Amino acid sequence: MSSIMRESHIMKIHYLTALVAVGFVIIHIMVRVMQGFSDSLLFDNVIANYKSIPYAIVLEAMLILISVHGFNGLRIILLEIKQGRVYENAVTYGCLAAMIVLIAYGSRTIIMASMGMV
Amino acid sequence: MEKDRKEGIRGMANPGRYGIERVAYWLMRITGLGLLAYFIGHIYETSSLLDGKAAWNSMLELTQTTEGHIFLALVIGMCVFHTGNGIRLMIAEAGFGFGKARRPDYPYTPSSLNMKNKLCIYVSIGLAALAMMYGLGVMYDV
Repeated sequence: MSSIMRESHIMKIHYLTALVAVGFVIIHIMVRVMQGFSDSLLFDNVIANYKSIPYAIVLEAMLILISVHGFNGLRIILLEIKQGRVYENAVTYGCLAAMIVLIAYGSRTIIMASMGMV
Repeated sequence: MEKDRKEGIRGMANPGRYGIERVAYWLMRITGLGLLAYFIGHIYETSSLLDGKAAWNSMLELTQTTEGHIFLALVIGMCVFHTGNGIRLMIAEAGFGFGKARRPDYPYTPSSLNMKNKLCIYVSIGLAALAMMYGLGVMYDV
């Protein structure tokens, strides 16, 4: 990633994804608390949550933002430990691949649950 | 000084030597990794929805225990500390809260490691503890 994009730009993305994700996480937690924590976790309630399109969009946005922030954070930690062109590329592309896999897996749940394919 | 250099990265990372800032450095990384691990687990946990009600309920049972509640309380604490300390770092990287630039004189105290930043770290830890208590209250319907 560092060869594709400047580190200063990556850090701006890191901070921006963090700030926006905090807002979405607050919405996500408020939804759970306002419904009553235990009741909100009942199967039918959770499915109803997914079927609400605005909430499904919030979940998808949260999935993308936290994945980008989380795996970039992991990349930064791993690059602090060791340096070198091969190692840095392996860490960067490894984190990118893991991020894409996680977003795809999470999106599958959101799309299938919101379309009633349960 | 010579000993400092010989220690290499271990000397830099020693949380007992450089005060609360180095503790915050470690906590930021540990909570970040913890939250990433939780996030991956959470995505996997919620995917059990697609296997029907029984699969969802059996997955949910894992978190409806005392250990599960303590784990979730820790996640809340990690999330709040990571957010609070992260905002402090963003503000610091933007150049705020350091005071004016001055000549480095003995004992060469770094102006970036000042009381404002230390206070923010302690406040982040305090908020994390309060959020954990609130979270436990919600989970136990207190």
